[in-house]
Amino acid sequence: MKRIIVEYEKCDGCKNCSAACMQAHRKTQGTIYDLDLTDPENESRNFILKDAKGQYKPLFCRHCDDPECVKSCMSGALFKDPDSGHVFYDENRCGSCFMCVMNCPFGVLKPDTVTKTKVIKCDFCVNAGGEPSCVASCPKKAIHVEEV
Amino acid sequence: MNYVIIGAGVAGIEAAKSIRGQDSFGEIVMISADLHVHSRCMLHKFISGERDEMGLDFTEKDFFDKYRVHWKKGVRVIRIDPDKKEVFLEDGQAVSYDKLLLAGGADSFIPPVGELRKASNVFGLRNLSDAQAIVKEAETAQNVLVIGSGLVGLDAAYGLLELGKKLTVVEMADRILPVQLDARAARAYQDRFENAGVRFVLERKASQAVCEPDGRIHKVILDNGEEIPCDLIIVAAGVRSSLGCLEGSGIACERGVTVDPSMKTSRKDVFAAGDITALSGIWPNAADQGRVAGKSMCGLTAEYTDTYAMKNTMNFFGLVTLCVGRIREEEGDQVLVREDMRQYKKILLKNGKVEGILFQGDIAGGGIWQYLIKNKIDVSGIDKDVFDINYGDFYHVGDRGKYEWVV
Repeated sequence: MKRIIVEYEKCDGCKNCSAACMQAHRKTQGTIYDLDLTDPENESRNFILKDAKGQYKPLFCRHCDDPECVKSCMSGALFKDPDSGHVFYDENRCGSCFMCVMNCPFGVLKPDTVTKTKVIKCDFCVNAGGEPSCVASCPKKAIHVEEV
Repeated sequence: MNYVIIGAGVAGIEAAKSIRGQDSFGEIVMISADLHVHSRCMLHKFISGERDEMGLDFTEKDFFDKYRVHWKKGVRVIRIDPDKKEVFLEDGQAVSYDKLLLAGGADSFIPPVGELRKASNVFGLRNLSDAQAIVKEAETAQNVLVIGSGLVGLDAAYGLLELGKKLTVVEMADRILPVQLDARAARAYQDRFENAGVRFVLERKASQAVCEPDGRIHKVILDNGEEIPCDLIIVAAGVRSSLGCLEGSGIACERGVTVDPSMKTSRKDVFAAGDITALSGIWPNAADQGRVAGKSMCGLTAEYTDTYAMKNTMNFFGLVTLCVGRIREEEGDQVLVREDMRQYKKILLKNGKVEGILFQGDIAGGGIWQYLIKNKIDVSGIDKDVFDINYGDFYHVGDRGKYEWVV
């Protein structure tokens, strides 16, 4: 399967990846230049964390081999695709219980900010041909896709 | 090899998947009283009319064909004979097994108050059949009494609100959701339910309930003498493992079926998983037990190790809450609170370790707290406001890009 590999030492915290993720998942048409960063409906699926020393630690869904989110999903909305190995989410099946948020040991998942009915979850930009927008946008090459 | 699984809940389903993953040729038979595979966590969505029976199914498409599981549905197991390795069904059939999994779950506990157990308009909310019966009864019922304000009681109330019913919820404790929440967080939900028209009667118990000649209870009298008129009663007072069919089987039980970490019971080739073990009442743990049991049944070494069960999430009226660990404050706790108009967060810290968290309103990225609490990780060395601790403080990218915890 393909996974986004993170080299955190290279990250300078610019959050281009987050902006690209918001752009890739926006509901409205448009380009990155008119993306409304203040609209709570535009949410990033990746996060640039900071540790206590101020070092940036990029947080990207691992599409885990043994995904805790899938294992805790009571509706069948989260599933590991046997072909690609990626963990996908069907929001129509989701029961909005958020046990997946509770069980992701890295804190990648969150409820959507506006309606609290959906999970904000990396889809590996499957609708854009499976080339993650975050990776394409990183100016420091701190993230890349690798077959693992 | 002939595998028989009793129960079509998540433990049984996960076990079947796990068995098929190991044994392509074995025969898998699943026996359930349930006619539909359904997620019990979504029964309120059935009551409210938001989903039909099929919409509660949590399995992948064509599950039974795909995993080649032969499903005997709508039939109860009445007896098990581990000596002859046979399971007896209520329709007179006997099914023999090489390996047997008990995953029959639990039943609603109806307390012996008045004639609650006898009346025809009293229901638990555990199975789809309960939800179906409630919906049918609700066609004519207007006044609904819910006894118990735990997650099941409030789920029932939440579903019935959508049907426009007049609801009264009686709770023994001084707040709703007493196991999961503190007073402040409980109040936030109580306000929302009250605004939607629900009446709560706290610190009260049902003490009398008499069946009228029509076989129904039309009023319940509380321990302060108050009379609550009702057409439909939902009892949400907990569950008990379904051990009925194990009588005489010699399978050791306490509150639930006794199992070792590989989910083996006291009798050879009999395993158990899910609520029937009474090890935990939550979905992810039941699923895990099912997977472990499935592997054990195939002769592999597997253990149920992630047993931590003091964790819950809830979502009513779009207000989400995550609670993990101990909620009740104790002497020696450092109680940290962060709040604003969108969130209320509380952390109980003791000797540098997080013992419990209660996050309401904003639970984004909250998964790390379960890890910190169940693994008793000392966070005192992290030079940060405790609320701002995140996975970045324990970050390591390991083999194949996997994240690992460094503590």
